[in-house]
Amino acid sequence: MTQEQELSRPPERQALFRGMLQVALSSFGGGMSAWSQRIVVEQRRWMSNESFITGLTVARLFPGPNQINMAVYIGAQFQRLAGAIAAVSGILLVPFSLLMLIGVIYFQFHAIPAVDRVLTGVVAAAAGMALSMGFKILNVYWRDPLALLLAAVTFVALEVFHVHLIAVVLSIGPVAMLLYWPRGAQRG
Amino acid sequence: MVDPTSGLATLLQVIVTFLRLSLFSLGGGNTLLAEYHHLAVDKYHWITNTQFADLYALAEAAPGPSSMIVGLLGLGAGWHHGPMWGLISGFSAEVAILLPSTVVMVMAALSWNKLKDEPVRVAFEKGLGPVTLGILFSVGLTVLRTADHHWLAYLVSVLVCALMLFTRISPLYFMLVAGVLGGLGIIQR
Repeated sequence: MTQEQELSRPPERQALFRGMLQVALSSFGGGMSAWSQRIVVEQRRWMSNESFITGLTVARLFPGPNQINMAVYIGAQFQRLAGAIAAVSGILLVPFSLLMLIGVIYFQFHAIPAVDRVLTGVVAAAAGMALSMGFKILNVYWRDPLALLLAAVTFVALEVFHVHLIAVVLSIGPVAMLLYWPRGAQRG
Repeated sequence: MVDPTSGLATLLQVIVTFLRLSLFSLGGGNTLLAEYHHLAVDKYHWITNTQFADLYALAEAAPGPSSMIVGLLGLGAGWHHGPMWGLISGFSAEVAILLPSTVVMVMAALSWNKLKDEPVRVAFEKGLGPVTLGILFSVGLTVLRTADHHWLAYLVSVLVCALMLFTRISPLYFMLVAGVLGGLGIIQR
């Protein structure tokens, strides 16, 4: 690892917008948090790697897309609410417009057999990506029987008993929090 | 009352649907994919099963946050009433799914460090992880069932899953290769 480099000046709103736009456009085909780290920590030196990792943890914890939440965290660090808005706009506006354009083209032309054949292959690959998401974080919980049990109960409730997702989160979530409540901690 | 078959009715349905789900998008939002499928295909008939699989793949391949599939679902819902309704509905869907969770995240980003040693933070961090794990496996199965109907397609999916786990190759290449195989007629739905 390189030495901890000196940080640059806190970015203004425009710089936040441009930086997050660069992150979004670099992440063709995924790997956005890796790009975010490369650009925010290594290239522009806005924050240390340590505070970046903290931000990533908070972003993953709270509901919402990780990458959007991370943009909120980065923006809010430097320019409070205005910074968060600038950063989220940067990461979202251009990619979303592009995707809407792709969507319009799709709904106009997907009935063409050649387009449909290509998509069939792409879809099978994308399904493999979806399948890998659970396996990717499985190793974190591998040695924790309680976590595996909670995951199994969640899975069975959704897949076998077809319980609604919101009901599952609202019932198993609090139980899981109680079971993981730090021992000996005072309330409040 | 709003005519239930109008573009406006669909738009309202889209907005309410995604606003309601926003705060339940644990684990980066991918946990909602199975629910999106249920609502968009089975319940509201915005799009077909095949279209859902296609839109998921497009959202994954395009640059930007992967959760933008919601915009495409909104587009599909509004499309029945014309492209303009589609675009309005797509934009509204994305705002609806992001607004509540982003507001919560802004508050969290501005105050999280003060909660550093609170037990509720520790319990929240450790307890919701396993629940997310269970949901993600369910989501993986749902997308697999939606996308693949032929044994060769299943094989491609399982192979890509393994490559995702054991290599650091960009998934874009997997999509490219699979797209070519599909175009040649080797992979079928």
